[in-house]
Amino acid sequence: MVIAAIVVFAGLLTAWLLAPAEPTVVSEPVLPLAEGFAEAA
Amino acid sequence: MDQINAGDTAWVLISTALVMLMTPGLAFFYGGLVRRKNVLSTIMHSFFVLALVSVTWVLWGYSLAFGPDTGLGLIGSLEWVGLEGVTGEPSDTYATTIPHLAFMAFQMMFAIITPALITGAFAERKRFKAFVLFSVAWSTLVYAPIAHWVWSPDGWLAGLGVLDFAGGTVVHLASGVAALVAALMVGRRLGLVRPATEPHDVPMTVLGAGLLWFGWFGFNAGSALGANGLAATALVTTNTAAAMAALTWVTISWLHRGVPSVLGAALGAVAGLVAITPAAGFVTPAASILIGFGVGVACYAASQLRLRARVDDALDVFAVHGVGGAFGAVATGVFATVAVNAAGRDGLLAGNAGQVVIQLIGAGAVALYSAAMTAAILLVVNLVVRVRVPSEAEEAGLDLAQHGEVAYQA
Repeated sequence: MVIAAIVVFAGLLTAWLLAPAEPTVVSEPVLPLAEGFAEAA
Repeated sequence: MDQINAGDTAWVLISTALVMLMTPGLAFFYGGLVRRKNVLSTIMHSFFVLALVSVTWVLWGYSLAFGPDTGLGLIGSLEWVGLEGVTGEPSDTYATTIPHLAFMAFQMMFAIITPALITGAFAERKRFKAFVLFSVAWSTLVYAPIAHWVWSPDGWLAGLGVLDFAGGTVVHLASGVAALVAALMVGRRLGLVRPATEPHDVPMTVLGAGLLWFGWFGFNAGSALGANGLAATALVTTNTAAAMAALTWVTISWLHRGVPSVLGAALGAVAGLVAITPAAGFVTPAASILIGFGVGVACYAASQLRLRARVDDALDVFAVHGVGGAFGAVATGVFATVAVNAAGRDGLLAGNAGQVVIQLIGAGAVALYSAAMTAAILLVVNLVVRVRVPSEAEEAGLDLAQHGEVAYQA
């Protein structure tokens, strides 16, 4: 069980290593809620 | 093996929850101090560390920090990886009247907040991916060994007789020095004529300081590891030192700058809490007044020096936690008395000047190790992913550039 837990965490660590260094190149927020607020305004 | 004591167990479990709340409190404390375009990224640092170290501590951190010694007093073994053998029964070594799991969880919260403290130094310019990798490495390679040195009965600093009731050196000095190194290596933020913070929300910071103060009762009084007179002593000295340091910081800023700063009250309280941390269970309430006053002066001076220096420790982590932690470590050597805690040692004023030397050795070793390892980790992480964000991202703000979200509309 412990080994399985370590393997799962190692998967996350690998994902972090592979994840893009620049997650976003955006000029607007991607949070839908924020868009709703913007429209309401 | 001792029997489980219900009162002790209840107090340590509640203290665990109190200390957990300190990390979101720190997120607010730091979040208010940065510019509005970086508040989410700053809060995310603390919140992510809360989740991250919660898992790494269970998997290997606790074993490295508190597991059976590997022989030289430097680090624990991997015998307790995945909490193998750590159960609801008391440990033979630590806090023998509460479940071992309760002690482990209490210590977990200390391991969580320590790397979170460092994040204030590189706020507003550090790449999130680099931060994640740095936090995993720092927690494993810096925090766990230092905790073992000081708090394992086989640790080499524990063997020397270093006193650190709740983490003045393990938590605050280690993170404060790491923050200074990180600030030097990551470099100054763009667009600042001189290093200075531009708090975007002082009420948020004061709320964070209040949560920290509240949680610190668990941090320090919980470190008695029992519902007893020592816990009451630590609670009173903690509150008194925080109050005295807040009063001192406000007074100095009033005289120096002409205004009784609200932000100064928050910073002063935190400085007092830091300084009393190593001493809380070893000194009298009267001594805590002197410690609070002294650290208020010392940390105010350090923060003013930081403004004149070229290093951009954005949120004064070194000035408050590094200087406050070192001050508290030495003050413990001055004011400690076995009249308060028979399991402790007398300090300078009780006739044992050697304790000050021991405290200095402990503080020096922790500072040197943390500085060297922090630099090494940052260099390696920078090879994997650039630690600093591009200038365009820094100008846009990390909330949008790194997380794709914004904290406030309009």
